[in-house]
Amino acid sequence: MGAGTRRLTRCFVLLCCAALSPACSSGTGSETAADPGRARLIAVITPSHDNPFFKAEADAASARARELGYEVIVNVHDDDANKQDQLIDVAIARKVSAIVLDNAGADASVAAISKARAAGIPSILIDREINVTGVAAAQIVSNNYQGATLGAEEFVRLLGEKGSYIELVGRESDTNAAVRSRGFHDVLDKYPDLRMVARQSANWDQREAFQKTETLIQANRGISGVIAGNDTMALGAMAALKGAGLGHLVVVGFDGSPDAIGSIKAGEIKATVLQPAAYIARLAVDQAHALITKGSTGQPEKQAIDCELVTQANAGEFGIFQRISKEAR
Amino acid sequence: MAGHSRSEGRSAAALVMKLRALIALALLAVTFSLLSPEFLTASNLSILVKHVAINAILAIGMTFVILSGGIDLSVGSIAGLCGVVAGGLLSRGLELQAFGVVIYFHTWLVVAIALAVGMAVGALNGWLVARLGVAPFIATLGSLYVARGAALLTTGGATFPNLAGSAALGNRGFAMLGAAGVLGLPVPVWVMALLAVAAIFLAAYTPFGRQVYAVGGNERAALLAGVRVGRVKLFVYVISGFCSALVGLIIAAQLGAAHPATGQTFELNAIAAVVLGGTSLMGGRGTIAGTLVGAFVIGVLADGLVLLGVSEFWQMVVKGLVIVLAVVLDQFQRRSS
Repeated sequence: MGAGTRRLTRCFVLLCCAALSPACSSGTGSETAADPGRARLIAVITPSHDNPFFKAEADAASARARELGYEVIVNVHDDDANKQDQLIDVAIARKVSAIVLDNAGADASVAAISKARAAGIPSILIDREINVTGVAAAQIVSNNYQGATLGAEEFVRLLGEKGSYIELVGRESDTNAAVRSRGFHDVLDKYPDLRMVARQSANWDQREAFQKTETLIQANRGISGVIAGNDTMALGAMAALKGAGLGHLVVVGFDGSPDAIGSIKAGEIKATVLQPAAYIARLAVDQAHALITKGSTGQPEKQAIDCELVTQANAGEFGIFQRISKEAR
Repeated sequence: MAGHSRSEGRSAAALVMKLRALIALALLAVTFSLLSPEFLTASNLSILVKHVAINAILAIGMTFVILSGGIDLSVGSIAGLCGVVAGGLLSRGLELQAFGVVIYFHTWLVVAIALAVGMAVGALNGWLVARLGVAPFIATLGSLYVARGAALLTTGGATFPNLAGSAALGNRGFAMLGAAGVLGLPVPVWVMALLAVAAIFLAAYTPFGRQVYAVGGNERAALLAGVRVGRVKLFVYVISGFCSALVGLIIAAQLGAAHPATGQTFELNAIAAVVLGGTSLMGGRGTIAGTLVGAFVIGVLADGLVLLGVSEFWQMVVKGLVIVLAVVLDQFQRRSS
């Protein structure tokens, strides 16, 4: 038993050394920026990659950072503010030059970002804002409200300004769910002949949207359409409508995910609103680079990037969360 | 005389306690049909039972595990993994890089492979519990993470869309698993019904069933009586893995897409249905029929509240209260008996 314990202890010590060594070696240098001979490090932290949106963000950010000569560490916080806090601790310990962060909560993330700032590490936020300014170096988000009004206007046009509809809302504790719903209603509520007959949260989830739509159309078979706060819910609603022989109804989503664009091309869901997530992620890395090399991002802290409407007419012009440039096509 | 009527009253009370889940189900059904005219329509009931089927199938497998004194936390992850395995084989095929070929299997073979994967993960759980003596909670918690990670690795986090297959590859017809079947009832409902009949038979009328109760009731006594405890434990996890795989296939077929995060927190719904149905978490006591009623209580509650347009937050509160209430009643019953 004594030998076993000793061996375990030795393993543990070795592991600790391995974990600490990058921090140790860079600790002797003059902090972060002033060492051009060695590749600097950028941390990219996003929610789980099981959503293609966040994977696209992380992929675009790390590709751009490598182009600019950085090393990259990519991590996911699974929308857990505590895990995010630990990942930021690790980033501080490894003395990264900047953190590109899609955060785990508008209030819950503030302390962790302040901690990085106190350690001299700037954070560039993407996709989601936080509820304070002056802590992050930049907050670049897609304009969810503008996007929602775009989607709602197309929904109204497709319905011919009349009829009843169901709204599927995202997770109600998520700021973007509320902002998108407000954008939808600021347009939809202007039309007196348009009536919302049911509104349910499906928590951004495809299966939940499928089941809830199946149940809701029992009470509302006369509806003309479903408007959903994201694409996975729109696809779930579409599957339920098809199963009920109502596949011709108007379904509009939000995000511009590759699956939704595929569905639009196949003539199933009618429209979605594309968030330029890949573009925003690259922009964030560019601004981090400007900050590291020139001392300023050259931009205001809060930046909103407009979304684009995707319909059957223009679906071919879009790739993975971005418009495909003419040359690439 | 007085003593006689008192004992009659006591037995009536005991009957109410015994049938409490069924009574709760009836009360819920009456309440919802009064509040919503659409609740009691044939098409709504058909959809309701289809929604219940997903949790009920998991809960049937879970009942065997819990009866044996174990717990299976990995059911949701296994469902996710098997859905993704089937989705991948249907939409991408099996790529053998060494030979430079891509193999597409017939739909039924894909279904069989996915079921085999579920049973294999179940067997792994059973092996950890029975042979290595790992606590069921820990063993299946481990496979909860491993199976979920494997599902995410299989797709790289993405969804496999368009599982319709193609006639040229001979793998069409997967959607049938989630669609309407014989007598107009959805296929998932038939799957649940057949599984329930088989499970009731297995639990109540076979030596294996009696051994499961014996192992959960008193493992030492069962061992001394000559029951092959290890083999019984292995089998209950294989059954649970099989049921989980069925659920993963049904969800993928219904959505026409396989998402690796499918099935998160399903284990909790399944355990809730088992407990609501009167099965003891300590093992050795409970029935499959009770579990079915439990699954229906949860399903009726969920769909009824959606039909009434109640907020998601209230739905969670109500579900939690119902589960706790059921266990409180269970404690009363045990103390009185």
